Amino acid sequence: MDESKQPTPKPGVCIPWDEKKRELPPIQGDDAQFQQVWEDVDAMAHTYIWHLLVSF
Amino acid sequence: MLFYIAATKRGISGEVFIVHSNDVDRKRGLRMSDKEMLYQQRLKRYTTALRKGKPDCVPIRPFVAEFTAKYAGMTCQEVSYDYRKAFEAALKCAADFDWDAVAASMVYVWTGLTHAVGLKYYGVPGIDVPADTGFQYREPPEDNAFMRADEYEQLIADPTGFLFNVWLPRVSGDVCAVGQPATFRNNLSFLKGGMAMMSYFHAFGPQIERLRRESGTVSAISGILKAPFDILADKLRGYMGLAMDLHERPKEVQRACQALMPHLLHIALSSADPARQVPIGFWMHRGCVPFISHDQFNTLYWPTLKPIIEELWRHGHQTMFYAEGRWLAHLDAFLELPEQSIVFHADQDDVFAVHKKIGHKFCISGGIPNYLLAYESPQAVRDFCKRVIDEVAVDGGYICDASAIMQNEVSIENIRAMTDFVRDYGQY
Repeated sequence: MDESKQPTPKPGVCIPWDEKKRELPPIQGDDAQFQQVWEDVDAMAHTYIWHLLVSF
Repeated sequence: MLFYIAATKRGISGEVFIVHSNDVDRKRGLRMSDKEMLYQQRLKRYTTALRKGKPDCVPIRPFVAEFTAKYAGMTCQEVSYDYRKAFEAALKCAADFDWDAVAASMVYVWTGLTHAVGLKYYGVPGIDVPADTGFQYREPPEDNAFMRADEYEQLIADPTGFLFNVWLPRVSGDVCAVGQPATFRNNLSFLKGGMAMMSYFHAFGPQIERLRRESGTVSAISGILKAPFDILADKLRGYMGLAMDLHERPKEVQRACQALMPHLLHIALSSADPARQVPIGFWMHRGCVPFISHDQFNTLYWPTLKPIIEELWRHGHQTMFYAEGRWLAHLDAFLELPEQSIVFHADQDDVFAVHKKIGHKFCISGGIPNYLLAYESPQAVRDFCKRVIDEVAVDGGYICDASAIMQNEVSIENIRAMTDFVRDYGQY
């Protein structure tokens, strides 16, 4: 994947769900749950790097 | 910070500690403990002053950092490398002094975490500096800044990606640059760093709960903000590098500040007090004259900060301007902000002049000079506090604190003198 062509992630996002979803086979189950949990965990990575910058 | 979210959910905005007791109103079967009543009294006092009101007496909210180590008989190494010791020292001070609010831990940098990540820009007590000297921040060399002058576009295009891919490998001795073979130390940096941060942040909830339960003390602030300009100066280009960029590439500096704004707002909002009672801590470093010119302040620093403060206020959050250094030249700009939206903490500014200029609009804190608290007599401390109460606190909207964060040079006797005098003379 050409990462240079990805749109700039918004605050709270490192790898957008849409980008991750493209890597997966077609979703058969609850799309919304996959998205919610992906985004919740992804946000922790944003917290990590931005707090390293701002708080430490 | 994230830990403040957990903290405030469990503390300030969370459950109220109600205890069962046999000697109270049996109809209700409940009464507040003495400590909880004290907490509620202090919370009301503190938040009334924050909103420029006149409480029952002047609130005392000292930001005691390495002072807590000195008081608890610990070294700076002990409290900076083991946050549990820092927490214990903060609890001991809160229990022994009649303070309304404190920071859960003002020794905010846990050097155990910075070691785990491999960060190079801290001077760690007991290793890089003597064990009883506070931790230090090392400015990057001008010719080896953590971000190069020709990397602005990369930062602007994707700030988060830049931090992970470019900045972190430069500030950490363990993290590998993109394209380099991953190493054991690289992998451990992320694992240990992430788990350490989670452990640290989550420890603040119980700490705030203990402050409330054991001494009836309010957690004074929640969340963190820094100005986009200061982030560029402190952590990316270095002050000297940025000073040159302001002349050689001002548009890129401006666009970089704009690119940082939404992320810094996000961090501030996500770490703020959900109950909207206590302010977000905003630590102001080098955005004032003479570090930059009036023109640079007006065209760059302020336009990329003011919208963040306004947005926080739209969400119901006050911001505490911890104005390190002298900011008197910029008070007119701060007056553009909505009434009560900020609390202005006076460091080296003349607190009396600050009060005259902005006291009609914002709560003011601080202004008791650290040199007085460290090196002068208790009577000199009392005399200065009297003047502050008479001239600044007279109509409310003032919170007693030292000018700057108190380290271990501050005298215990003088802190006691300040506390006792303000409690006694500061009754409205």
